[in-house]
Amino acid sequence: MRIPIALGLAIVGSVGLIAQQAPASAPRSAGATAGQGRSSTAKPAGVARAADGKPDLQGVWTNATITPLERPQNVKDLVLTEEAAARMEKAVTDRRDRLNEPSDPNRTAPPQGGDGSTGAAGNVGGYNNFWLDPGERVAIVDGQRRSSLIIDPPDGRIPALTQEARTRQQARAKMAMGRGQYDHPEYRPLAERCLLSFGPTTPLVPNYFYNNNLQIVQTPDHVMILMEMVHDARVVRIGGKHLPKHIRPWMGDSIGHWEGDTLVVDTTNFPPQQNFRGASENLHVVERFRRADDKTINYRFTVDDPTTFTAPFTGEIPFRAMEELIYEYACHEGNYALGNVLSGARNEEKRLGTKQ
Amino acid sequence: MSTRKVVTALFLAAGLVTAGRTVVAHHAFGAEFDPNAPIRLQGKVVRLEWVNPHTWIHIETVKDGKPEIWMVEGGTPNTLLRRGITRDTVAVGTEVIVDGYQTKDHSLKRANGRDVTFADGRKLFMGSSGTGAPKDGSDPTEGGTKPAPKKPGGGK
Repeated sequence: MRIPIALGLAIVGSVGLIAQQAPASAPRSAGATAGQGRSSTAKPAGVARAADGKPDLQGVWTNATITPLERPQNVKDLVLTEEAAARMEKAVTDRRDRLNEPSDPNRTAPPQGGDGSTGAAGNVGGYNNFWLDPGERVAIVDGQRRSSLIIDPPDGRIPALTQEARTRQQARAKMAMGRGQYDHPEYRPLAERCLLSFGPTTPLVPNYFYNNNLQIVQTPDHVMILMEMVHDARVVRIGGKHLPKHIRPWMGDSIGHWEGDTLVVDTTNFPPQQNFRGASENLHVVERFRRADDKTINYRFTVDDPTTFTAPFTGEIPFRAMEELIYEYACHEGNYALGNVLSGARNEEKRLGTKQ
Repeated sequence: MSTRKVVTALFLAAGLVTAGRTVVAHHAFGAEFDPNAPIRLQGKVVRLEWVNPHTWIHIETVKDGKPEIWMVEGGTPNTLLRRGITRDTVAVGTEVIVDGYQTKDHSLKRANGRDVTFADGRKLFMGSSGTGAPKDGSDPTEGGTKPAPKKPGGGK
């Protein structure tokens, strides 16, 4: 952070006071209806309005943040002190600077048998950090620096999965193993096939990786939300009813209405192939878009699926205005990966003699 | 709980510590690349495919006196475009060093660009910074103009 020394000292000196002022837990109960009073009556001055008088949500926004979706179990408070937030942001930029340091030009190939990396990089490493753009800032909502995006339940964590969901996940895993996950392109994940983002599109939760940017286009009848990641465009119909249950678009069926100055979007009819945190096709998401000021949309989402989660949960994310364009993500254009994965599996079968 | 412990816990939770991360990527790298086929390549850039979901850098190496063309997988070009970096930022003929793992299909000369640098070890590009991150108004120090395109290696 580039903070003048005098200002930096003033911030450090005031940390104690700020921490005392900040509430120790979620400022209000959450849920699909929480916040209505505030949002339906407030008309913030200076918020741009569309021709029909509704707040103008249009523009390019980013939901990138270093605040995690779920709060670590050993962190109690939703609200961070200014000092803790500044230290976390500095830790992120320090790490980035370390990763920008030159490598040894005389380095050898990485270790035989894998480099021990985990997660998406699965024992072979991924690629350089300079490709990534996960955000560098703690999420600030209503002036509060947040330790988690989830605000309800009060522990900031996704409620436990139901027994039904655990059984379903086991069955899915068993089926995938049984038929051979590399045996057909359609057995591969939706993202690998360039069909859907590998960050959630509903709700609009950041992926902590890159391309956490979105564009909103608004008319009196429709609102379109374009995610940069995999170029997913979700069209919300204003008014009306949900589609019949048997029609299940990739991103579900979104209908919206205005409650005062808040756009409320209700999404159901998810396809069974989507997999937001293990949810089923019974997933129900309610989103609330409220312009906090000319540079911010306060976005709130509530997720409910009684067949998957033991309770609903709600989160809040600031969408910050960007002076940037959304870049096209023509995923099919250069998707060598899918072919490489499948031909790699054929090569291994031939080498190991496991299939004809 | 001390501030240090809070910061450490949040850092871990946001997946910002390990190179592997806990998030889902476009594809599982372990499904595409062979941990038993580590490689080190040194050669000249002959082509950059500035495409999604992954950039591919083509380099020409020499093995047993014969030229070989290798394709090296990188990340999305969108993040670099946003910092003013295009496929023309690295000139054809630039010498680079790559370490990574070859695809599981050994008939292909393709690998992941686990670490791609210039011949002297500097990173091919630089990670986002206060001047390179998306300008979203949250940084009071950011100016009103778009950052100038960076030179390879951060313009050092």
